[in-house]
Amino acid sequence: MGKVHLEIDGNKLEAEVGSMIIEVADKVGIDIPRFCYHKKLSVAANCRMCMVDVSNIPKAVPACATPVAEGMIIQTKTPKAIDAQKSVMEFLLINHPLDCPVCDQGGECELQDLSVGYGEDISRFTEGKRVVEDKNLGPLIATDMTRCIHCTRCVRFGQEVVGIREMGATGRGEHVEIGTYIEGAIESEVSANIIDLCPVGALTAKPSLFKARAWELRQSASIAAHDCLGSNVYVHHRGREIIRVVPRENESINEVWLSDRDRFSYQALTDSERLLKPRIKQNGEWQDTEWETALNAVVSEMKRIIGASNGEDFGVLVGNNITTEESYLAQKFIRGVGCNNIDFRVRRRDFSGDGRGSVRSGFNFPMEKIDHMDATLLIAADLRHEQPLTSLRVRKSTGFGKVMAINPFDGEYNFRLTQELQPEAKMLAQEFAAVLVAADAINPDVLSAEAKEWLNGIEANDTHQQIAKNLVDNEASCILMGVYVQEHPQAEIINWLAESLASVTQSDWGYMTLGCNAAGNKIAGAVPMQSAAGGKSEPGKNAKQMLTSGLKSYFLINCEPDVESVWSKQALQNLQNAECVIALTPFADGRVPEYADIMLPIAGCYETSGTYINVEGKWQSFAASVSAPGDARPGWKVLRVLANLFELSGFDYESSKQVIDELHEKFEAVGDIRVARKVPPPLMQVSEQEASRECLGLYMVDPMVRRAKALQQTPKASTHPISISRVKTI
Amino acid sequence: MKTVKQFLNSFLLVELLKGLRVTWANMFRRKVTVQFPEERTPQSPRFRGLHALRSYPNGEERCIACKLCEAVCPASAITIEAGPREKDGSRRTTKYEIDLFKCIFCGFCEESCPVDSIVETRIFDYHFENRGEHIMTKEMLLEVGRLNEEQIAADREADAKYR
Repeated sequence: MGKVHLEIDGNKLEAEVGSMIIEVADKVGIDIPRFCYHKKLSVAANCRMCMVDVSNIPKAVPACATPVAEGMIIQTKTPKAIDAQKSVMEFLLINHPLDCPVCDQGGECELQDLSVGYGEDISRFTEGKRVVEDKNLGPLIATDMTRCIHCTRCVRFGQEVVGIREMGATGRGEHVEIGTYIEGAIESEVSANIIDLCPVGALTAKPSLFKARAWELRQSASIAAHDCLGSNVYVHHRGREIIRVVPRENESINEVWLSDRDRFSYQALTDSERLLKPRIKQNGEWQDTEWETALNAVVSEMKRIIGASNGEDFGVLVGNNITTEESYLAQKFIRGVGCNNIDFRVRRRDFSGDGRGSVRSGFNFPMEKIDHMDATLLIAADLRHEQPLTSLRVRKSTGFGKVMAINPFDGEYNFRLTQELQPEAKMLAQEFAAVLVAADAINPDVLSAEAKEWLNGIEANDTHQQIAKNLVDNEASCILMGVYVQEHPQAEIINWLAESLASVTQSDWGYMTLGCNAAGNKIAGAVPMQSAAGGKSEPGKNAKQMLTSGLKSYFLINCEPDVESVWSKQALQNLQNAECVIALTPFADGRVPEYADIMLPIAGCYETSGTYINVEGKWQSFAASVSAPGDARPGWKVLRVLANLFELSGFDYESSKQVIDELHEKFEAVGDIRVARKVPPPLMQVSEQEASRECLGLYMVDPMVRRAKALQQTPKASTHPISISRVKTI
Repeated sequence: MKTVKQFLNSFLLVELLKGLRVTWANMFRRKVTVQFPEERTPQSPRFRGLHALRSYPNGEERCIACKLCEAVCPASAITIEAGPREKDGSRRTTKYEIDLFKCIFCGFCEESCPVDSIVETRIFDYHFENRGEHIMTKEMLLEVGRLNEEQIAADREADAKYR
């Protein structure tokens, strides 16, 4: 790219050829008013607010649609520019209602802000104003279409970024209306981003409708907790109440977007029934008690059961969304009292790969690279339901790259696939192996003889060869495995295949995980095969063994195995039959009260400080945004006190930072230990029934999302469970 | 010389007579003392007394929960919580409270109100008998508004040309 030299308001600047004036001005912080321009969307130039004065051009020109040229002299504050902007503002205000006092955008409205600078105090318009009927866009987005200024940001977002054209403009001139063409809720899983995009109050958040004004809110930075990206967010709260969650720009993770799940899950904290005091079940009745009584009861029960069974009959299950500090303390505590049964992988069926692969689960490349992949292979990845924002990234790469999929279910994609294989769930490993065979044929020097022997007898057809060729031929290529892969009965084989394929084709590879902190849980050592940072551990029972074998006692940390686990029916039965179930949970509803015997209230998401480690291995710490209600305490404090009551040494933490620092030091000392995957045992046929379990739906993944009212009212909520068993129609 | 003058002044009760002159002069002037509460002083239409929330003639409350009064209040005496009203989904307050101990009667709330809902009436003689009564709830404020609507409306009318 060549460079051109230009001058804006007297600043001599250098800019890339082809960039627009407004981009250059934004970079150096020269403010040009705008409504329709957005850096992540295409240029529409239909609001005409960004008029600037360019030398040698007789009329003012829109800065967002005028490419820079050598020697350009641009003035943004000359009478010509200001005059043009003021005239545009007058036109915009003709039909905009003067209802700022009842508008949720009031106080943070781009039109309101700019009208202070560019608007006249008196309207010359005496004719009738237009009124537009409000649209019903579902439970997440409230509309007031009379306020719309037709910037079309929402339309372009759907069309360009999401790839699902849900909004559009109908009519012309005075009669333009933005709407959904056909009455119906917006269904996309990232729909609520149009609330942020809307420069006026036409689209606002329904769950927080009329609840607060912008100036009352306090903002604290946090990390979203519902997918493995670890999207950066700002939590806006008034007093103890969280009013809304909005995206915090982070180009390497969530860019400027946020999925609906991350945005509206906060509702669970305010609207659901919270556990406010420790509770003990006595003769089938719940009794509120004090912390001291409850903790002593926990200690005596644990001593009794662990003492009697030498730790064999006690099991700890941690949720997917607890902080790394909590899972680290949980494993340190439980191993300290002589029990090794701890796991978070309640949806895993195949544990044969335990102890192999990398300690840190997830990607071996930065997420940003997905944008630039020339070839991407998706393995059982229902991206739109698992990581909506990753789906947007993959979509970006489809502009130039190829995206292929081996998906055992009818995937909904928001991009076009170049190749698609739809094997039955039980055939997933075979199909994938065929791709490796094809790749091996192209590049035969990489695989070991043992591996080649394993692949012997698997035939590759044209599609497999095409997929392999795409991966080999393109330098920037990656293999992405969906959440379902780790739930598959042959997960370890598929992981091995992916690793091998990646080395044969020189691709990046990674697998996505359920919940936001699978990587953190693994590094913290909340798994039976290894302690913190991949350290040695006595063998313990894994989640499957714990949930299917029926232990005397379970210790649940923000985990609801009766819903989350693939063994849910057996899990529920075993939990009900257990002598003592101790649950650390923020919520007092759901089924936990049915089978628990002692419930300890812990702080929910945004109420505790902590760290999440995302799928690419980024450690992201955050402070508590609001305090927990009632007597609820952050989980790490509860675990620390429990350890203190057991008189274990090394539990004198005063802040969650000390906990994470200790773990971080351990992890840094050994690094990411990688144990090479062995060539797995020969491919066995899995039964249809074994493979075709159901996946958790988009809005079912964790206790918080399940309790978010607005999300549960969306059409997407009914996609639970996502059925993997596919009936072939051909 | 000074000492002599001082002696004569005090001996002849000059200061007393001076004072008595004021007394006598006022004794025959028109009386200005008001027999409160039987009698009351005249009040300006801009008088800033007890608060009220006004309603429209059809009974609909005026307040739209814009929270400008809450924001402008220099004493943080106003507390508002808002949400969509169950009946019709319109933007209304679910809580509107004024702490009369905090209030400094500056009238900013009245000035900021875009719908002339929160107003300060001419009422200034009120009292509390129990702890907690100084918090005016939404119902109380609306009631004050209803009882005094005529006067409030007349006062706004009289002051309209200056606003």
